[in-house]
Formats: sequence, C-alpha cells, structure tokens
Amino acid sequence: MKTRWAPVAAGVVVLAVLAAAPAALSPFLVQFLINLFMLAALAESWNIIGGFTGYASFGNVAFFGVGAYATGILLTRAAWPLALALPAGGAVAMLFAGLIGMPILRLKGHYFAIATLGVAETMREIVYNLEITGAGTGLVMPISRSPIPFFYLMLGILVAATLVNRWLSASRFGYGLIAIREDEDAAAAMGINTPLYKTLAFALSGAFAGLAGGVFADWITFIDPDGVFKVSTTIQMIIMAVFGGMGTVVGPLLGAVVLASISELLSTQLVSLAELFNGLVVILVVLFMPKGLAEFIRKREFSVRQLVRNLREYRV
Amino acid sequence: MLALQVLINGILLGGLYGLMALGMSLIWGVMNIVNIAHGALIMLGAYLTFWLFTLWGWDPFVSLPVTIALLFVYGYCLQRYLLNLIVRAQLFLTLLITFGVEVVMVNLVRVAWSSDLRQVTPAYAGAHFKVGGITVPYVRLWVFLTTVILSVTFLLILEKTRLGRAIRATSEELRAARLAGIPVAHIYAITFGLGAALAGAAGGLWGMLFPITPIMGGGLTLKSFVVAVLGGLGTMMGAIVGGLVLGIAESFSATYLGPTYPNAISFGLLVLILIVRPTGLVGRRGSA
Repeated sequence: MKTRWAPVAAGVVVLAVLAAAPAALSPFLVQFLINLFMLAALAESWNIIGGFTGYASFGNVAFFGVGAYATGILLTRAAWPLALALPAGGAVAMLFAGLIGMPILRLKGHYFAIATLGVAETMREIVYNLEITGAGTGLVMPISRSPIPFFYLMLGILVAATLVNRWLSASRFGYGLIAIREDEDAAAAMGINTPLYKTLAFALSGAFAGLAGGVFADWITFIDPDGVFKVSTTIQMIIMAVFGGMGTVVGPLLGAVVLASISELLSTQLVSLAELFNGLVVILVVLFMPKGLAEFIRKREFSVRQLVRNLREYRV
Repeated sequence: MLALQVLINGILLGGLYGLMALGMSLIWGVMNIVNIAHGALIMLGAYLTFWLFTLWGWDPFVSLPVTIALLFVYGYCLQRYLLNLIVRAQLFLTLLITFGVEVVMVNLVRVAWSSDLRQVTPAYAGAHFKVGGITVPYVRLWVFLTTVILSVTFLLILEKTRLGRAIRATSEELRAARLAGIPVAHIYAITFGLGAALAGAAGGLWGMLFPITPIMGGGLTLKSFVVAVLGGLGTMMGAIVGGLVLGIAESFSATYLGPTYPNAISFGLLVLILIVRPTGLVGRRGSA
C-alpha cells in the first residue's frame, strides 16, 4: 500500500495546531478537548477488536476501568509518580484483557457480546466489594493540578492509538485480523494462528483503553465503580466507531469529533438529554448509515437516496 | 432445614427468571435478535404496575393483564415500525439497535419519572405462612403461581394455536413461510409483542418483590440472556428450566457465599455452560 501524503500532512498540521493550543484556549475548551481525545482514543481502541477483528465487544469499559483503578491505586496507595503509574496501569489493563480474552474469544456473535457485557458488570461488582479499590466510596487522587499535562497525555494516547490502527490497516498482523473478521475458519485454514491473533488484538485494545482510563483517573481526581464502569462509556466507543466507519483508521476519530461535540452542547442543557441523544444516534446510524461516514467519504457522495437505500436494504 | 428453605426461595425466584427469559428466548429464536432492551421492557412493566397501584390503587395482580396488554401493543409497534427495518442485517447491527432502544427508554423514563427508588407495597406485602419450619411469603408464592400460569398459557399459544404455528413456521424458514401466505412482517411484530408482554408481566411481578428504578433493566437483560442460554436457545421449556437453575444457584450462593456478587454468579454460570455444554441443558443442536 502506497502512503498518501495529503492525509499525513493534514494530520501533522492539526497536531501542530493542537500542540500550541492549550495556552490560547479557555479552561472550558481545554477540558472539552481532553474529554474528546479520551473518547476518540477509546473509539480507536474499540476499533481494533470490534472494527478490524469483527468481535463486537460490549464491555471494553472494563479495560478503561481496570486501567483507571490500577493507575489510581498506584498513585494513592503506593504513591508512585504518574510517569510510572500510568504505563503500569496500561500494562495491567492489557494483561487483564489478554487473560480474560483467552476464554471469551472462543465465543462468537451474540455470545461474545453478552459475555463482554458480563465482564464489565462483574468488574464493577468486584471493585465495589474490594478494600483496596476503596469499595463503593471510590478513590481520591493526590491533588489536582493544571489540566495542561493531561491535555498532552490524552492527545499522545490518541495519536498512538490512531497510529496503531493505521499500522493494522496495512500490515501482516492487521490483514490477519481482517481475515478473521471476514471468515474465521478460512483464516485458520490459511495458517493464521487465530486464537493468538484475536487475543493480541483484544490485549492491544485493552491497553489503550487502560491508558486512557489511567489518565482519566488522575485528571478527574476521583473515581468510583459506577462512574468508571459505565455501560454508556462502551456505547459511546461503539457508536463513535460505527458512526465514523468501523474498521477504518479515521472513522472512529471522525465519529468522536462529531458526536462528542453535539453531546457536549446538549449536556450543557441536561445530562439525561445527552444520553438520550446517544441512544437516538445509535438507532438512526444503524438504520441509515450502518457503514458509517467513511462510506460516504469514500464514494464522495452524500445523498438522501443513499440513506434511503441503506434503510431499505435489510427490511423484511 | 436451612438448605430446604434456601431451595424453596430459589425455586420461587427462579420461576420469575424463567418468565423473563421466555420472552427473550422467543424473540431470539424466531428473529435471531438478542434484545438488549428486554430489561428495559421489564422495567416499563414494573413502572406501569407501580403507577396503576399508586395513582388508582389497583392491586398489582389485578393490573397485570393491563400491563401485559400495553406492553404487547408497545412491542408490536416497536418491531413493526422500527426493528423490521433492520431485522435481516448482521447480528451486530440488530444488537446495536436494541441497545439504542434501551438507552432511549431508560433515559425517557428517567426524565419523566426521575431516578427515585419506587416500591409497590400492597397491604399483604409482609404476610407469610410456615410449613414445618419453612417460611413462605404469600407474595412470593402468588408471584410464582402467576409465572406458572403465564408460562403454561404462552406455551399453549405457541404449540396449539394457528398463530403459534405461524410463528414457529416463520422461525424455521422465512421464505417458505411467506410462500405459504403467512404475513411475515405482521408475525414478527406479534412475536416481539408477545416477548414484550412476557417481559412486562415479569416486570409487574418483579416490582412486588424488589425496588423499581429506571436502570433496573441492565442486570435483568444479562440474567434473561444467561437463562435463555442456560436452558438451550429457542427451546421454551429450556428457559423455564434455566430460570429455576439460576434462581436456585443464586439463592444458595447468596446464603453460603454472601449476597455481594449476584451478577458475577450468573455470569460465571454463563461462561461455564458455554464451555461445558454449548447447546444448553435442554437444547439439542448447536445454534451458536
């Protein structure tokens, strides 16, 4: 695959602008952007297992939560600096994803989806009942500082996650994952070690979610089981990836930018309104553009006719 | 003696789990939709019962047919005008859209009726009787008997009536059913309506035993799924057997391991059964 330079140049320019941005922006906008980077990084991380590998995980928030708690515990109970606690938190989430993935990735379709949902719910319950996690009352991080370091950390994680997706879209390992998505038996017959590939993809996905969770914990300074293991966080990852285009590199990013902006505007009105909006977007996207924005960009055509065609495709 | 008491508690609760799973298993078996909004339908049934009880003083058992009828209509419309549009898409999309429906329902209820904990407390809520040292609360017994009546009625509809035959035919082979003159879109909608009605009934009964909140459905969707898989997918008897197994397992684990891990138990059971016996307890062939 030949590298097209236009998107790379555009990416560099956007990054340069973002890198210089925090000084010039209002605190509110900085907070909004940190949140946006986090959601985009989560959408990209979900894309590794859900988009490329075709395993629709409905429980990726478990890795986000494990990363947040691992980092949080190291920061508070062991008094590690963030520079050590964050990579450790990411590693714990990665390991957790790998270990839980081994049995769970044997399941397919609905079974896998619900099993991952179960993992997230179970983790919330376990964290609720453990002493070291502060049980139901949660953990309070040391002190809140300037948000600027978190801005760069989240941005860094997002860039890394996006680059990994880019690598997957044009590498042997990535092709292996896509082969698994298209036809797992055929992939295995071609000599792909499917259990290993799937587990690695799941662990990679978990690592980025865990890193995002670790930064989240220190940034927000307070974590509790209900806030960190939210089903709605998983929905956001999924819907941003689907809205933009699953299995594409820029799709999840695009979806996050559009949906997080709208959602932010609505949540200034009422929090439940933002959630309601998320639900409606899920329904509308599935009906009208199941292949995401990326499809329209690729075809360079955005028409009502295409939307109606999508709507009629699967009806009974 | 304690063990017997725990067993009875488990069976009484298990009947309700079976009723929940029956609706989920029906929708899954006929249309291959795993309805994530199933718990939200249960929640809606519980709220309807609560409002009929609180506003008009209707006894929860008396209002049950009203709840069932309303949920049937709601489910029918949901399938006819929304889910039928997407029913032939890949699993991920049907799963996702019911996820969306769940989020919308939960948040609408939250906005309309707040997140407060609600309870249905008829005068006889605390009454119970004892047989040889075993305590049986009346409400739990009546709830159990109601689930038995509803389950049997439902199974009879599915097995013995023309409608039931049409549903089963559609589930077996969509195209052949259509050729035989079965209005498939209508049958799908009726199927979902029946599933929703069962969920609503389960919700109305659940509300007599446990508190009602907008988010109560999430865990119940998971439980319904576990029970449906446990018993064997698409087999209606399986859902009932699975419900009893989960009820008994939960009851024993709550007594002997502590009550803090209800979801972990059902989830552990799910993974176990998927690995050991993927076709379920009653199922015959694999459908994964």
